[in-house]
Amino acid sequence: MPEGGRVATAEGAAAPAGAPEQATLGAPAGAGPWRLAWRRLRRNRATLVFGGVFVALVLFCIAAPLYAKHVAHTGPYENHLSDTIEQDGETVNVVGFDGVPIGPTWRGEFLLGADDNGRDVMVRILYGGRNSLLIGVSAALITLMLSILLGLVAGYMRGRVDGVISRMMDVLWAFPVVLLGVALGTSLALGGFELGPVSVGPGSLLIPIFVISIVYVPYMARPVRGQVLILREQDFVEAARSQGAGPLRVMFAEILPNLASTMIVFFPLLIANAILLEAALSFLGAGVQSPEPSWGTMIDSGVERIITAPMLTIAPGVFLVATVLALNVFGDGVRDAFDPKGRVRMEH
Amino acid sequence: MKSVARFLLVTLVLAVGSLTLAACSDDDDGGGGGDSSAEGGSITISQSSQPDYLDPALSYTVNGWEPMWLVYTPLITYKRAEGAEGSELIPGLAEDLPEISSDGLTYTLKLRDGLVYSDGTPVKASDFEHTIARVLNLESGGSFFYEAIEGADKYLSGGDPEADISGIEADDKTGEITVTLVEPDASFSNVLAMNFAGLVPGDTPFRNLTEDPPPGVGPYELTSSEPNREFVMEKSKTFEGLGIPEIPAGNIDTITTKIIPNAQQQAQDVIDNKLDYMQDNPPADLLPQIKERFEGSDAPDGERFEEHTTVSTYYFFLNVREEPFDDPKVREAVNVGLDRPALARLYGGTLAPGCGFLPPGMPGHNESLDGPDCPFGDPNQPPDLERAQQLLKEAGAEGAKVTVWGNTDDPTPKVTEAYADQLDKIGFDVDVRILGAGVYFQAIGNEDTRAQTGFTNWFQDFPHPLNFYFLVDGGTIQPTNNQNFSNVDDLKINDEINALALETDLASVEDSWAALDEVLVADNSYIAPYGHQKQSTFFSDRMDFSCALFNPLYLNDYSSWCLKEGE
Repeated sequence: MPEGGRVATAEGAAAPAGAPEQATLGAPAGAGPWRLAWRRLRRNRATLVFGGVFVALVLFCIAAPLYAKHVAHTGPYENHLSDTIEQDGETVNVVGFDGVPIGPTWRGEFLLGADDNGRDVMVRILYGGRNSLLIGVSAALITLMLSILLGLVAGYMRGRVDGVISRMMDVLWAFPVVLLGVALGTSLALGGFELGPVSVGPGSLLIPIFVISIVYVPYMARPVRGQVLILREQDFVEAARSQGAGPLRVMFAEILPNLASTMIVFFPLLIANAILLEAALSFLGAGVQSPEPSWGTMIDSGVERIITAPMLTIAPGVFLVATVLALNVFGDGVRDAFDPKGRVRMEH
Repeated sequence: MKSVARFLLVTLVLAVGSLTLAACSDDDDGGGGGDSSAEGGSITISQSSQPDYLDPALSYTVNGWEPMWLVYTPLITYKRAEGAEGSELIPGLAEDLPEISSDGLTYTLKLRDGLVYSDGTPVKASDFEHTIARVLNLESGGSFFYEAIEGADKYLSGGDPEADISGIEADDKTGEITVTLVEPDASFSNVLAMNFAGLVPGDTPFRNLTEDPPPGVGPYELTSSEPNREFVMEKSKTFEGLGIPEIPAGNIDTITTKIIPNAQQQAQDVIDNKLDYMQDNPPADLLPQIKERFEGSDAPDGERFEEHTTVSTYYFFLNVREEPFDDPKVREAVNVGLDRPALARLYGGTLAPGCGFLPPGMPGHNESLDGPDCPFGDPNQPPDLERAQQLLKEAGAEGAKVTVWGNTDDPTPKVTEAYADQLDKIGFDVDVRILGAGVYFQAIGNEDTRAQTGFTNWFQDFPHPLNFYFLVDGGTIQPTNNQNFSNVDDLKINDEINALALETDLASVEDSWAALDEVLVADNSYIAPYGHQKQSTFFSDRMDFSCALFNPLYLNDYSSWCLKEGE
């Protein structure tokens, strides 16, 4: 049986619930679930617009080195405490003798102004965005893989294995996300960590990635386990078993492909949550460590200048809100497209 | 997830709204108050972090010393005055200043008659030995100063807290106290006047008493202590009757100190008269506004703010035990390439750039190092970066990996990042490590950390160059709690410190101390000083500014404060 057929079979398992939805959309008979989802997604303009906003933000952040080199002419770590620039025909200090940094110039250099160290805010926002996106996407991928693995094993094996995994998830779940993140982040940020041959330094971005990916596992692993509990009772799984397929083959060759839509639904929402948590941890000093830029650390240090240089807080805040908002609206649209009955929900 | 999207939108709207409100709400009910002052009353003041200890044997920070020097008076103390007068030693609980034997080894004092602690317990001469025993036994940061006493080493190695310190003789009947030193120490009178030697009763336990501070003899007593929340000082009921001349009994009845980490909130609360004083300098963001409104006798909203020069030095340590700072040329490159005026901007105008180690106001201060004649270039001008790069090249250390250490106390993270950027421009390959302020100095003072370079500073404990030079004395290097972060162990410097320490007439050797600064900084670049800090007094409108004294050693003197009439 071809790969596509197998996926279709699984969706077929949920067909009674999905059938009326297809009819209302006027889909031609025989259209596959992927095509149906794509059609639903295309009709949802808000999803496409916010998806576009997210892609634009990602591209903008990826282009940070180009912006820094050709537009701002400065790097993200470069201090300009004693430098001056020309503004409206006058020479002005990037940072005044009283320590107040220059505000937005609305041109290439210091477009959104400078921070206390005389660093270009726009350049740091773009580099901070790269860090936030890198952490968000990496953490979401790790969470996704761990959650699928644990949910798959727990849901398929049931019994004691399920009990052990579910209780582990309960323990993690018992801690508020930010509290657990701060506790883990602070302890690891102080001395780094070593796991066998792997050694991670205290300032490494791997630390917030690791922390965020761990704390979100229970929020996804539990709904995945629920999905697997339903799928393992389906006819196609029974058919595979009766043909002699072992547990590993059933789990990874029969059930896993049918979790694809769940993964697609969860992924953008996980990224959004991870970026938000990264900002919160960095704001509290437990995430990205200075002088590495991040939207959270920029908001944190900007708060001290809220009166004389409010752009230091507002600018990274706007980028953070725009990114998370875009991902959430896009994620909602993807869920509506792939899971119109709303069977899969990230648990909070 | 839709609810999350809505939440984000609402948060953004609220954030923008609150910013607008914050920008508009700068009105307060400030303005001048009455000219006459009131007796008594209660005030609430703030500190950004909990004092390290509220136990005189252990505390070694400005946060702890500023309040506690009014609670625990030593045998000798400093004049309650401003400027140079405030550094003059006066008798405290002793009748007179110590009689020093001709060989400089024996100090004899006599306790005043009729002294009692704030709880009514009579003060005995033997309490002095117990006080010093606590400092030594509890491994206080100040124990180093008292190891000069004969028998202190034996007491420490013996491990028995109740054991005798042979160099201290105290007669409870006559009140006579004799202290014998191992070798002469010209600064020992100052050591006797340190907060560590503030007398506590002879039965005070050998443990940290921060949560239940012991009674002392002073204008105030610590009546309550909730670590990380607040502590309360009340005017001592017994002190005024003791009749100790030159130590005023205080005016305010109750001083409640709240621990408020957010400096912005503290400053705003002082502006709004919700707090009466903040110990730290106002944050750079509010400083221009505060100066404009409250500085000077003709301030538009009444005089409530003043800046004072402190006897302090801010510098970066360069650990000579670690590469690449084991090479003098590399250390010189750092000093030449250091952009001191740029760093001063991070302090919002409260730091005067300089190259010297001994600060202005300290005997032996070398003026030439803090002016245009500094061998690394005028500290008020941008550095000669090319020369610094050339020096690094000559040392063959281009691209050397360096980790710069700093702590979270504002503005230190920014200073650390600026220093890292300057090292990067000189040609190093730089990493930054920022640690919590509470653990920073223990971490970099631990030899296992192998900290290469980073932030540090020092405010004078007493007006003697030894109080700064013990920080670069090879004899003070220890594996943990080390204060000699550069690990300077230079025979020439060590010998000179030891020789100058014997000289009791400080004025006669001021030039020698100034010359030693040249050896330390100009000749060897063991450290990279970058300036000297100012400290502010910032009051609410309730306080009568004319009462306030600023002591050069203990900074703001709470016992001088008073409220305006009617407050």
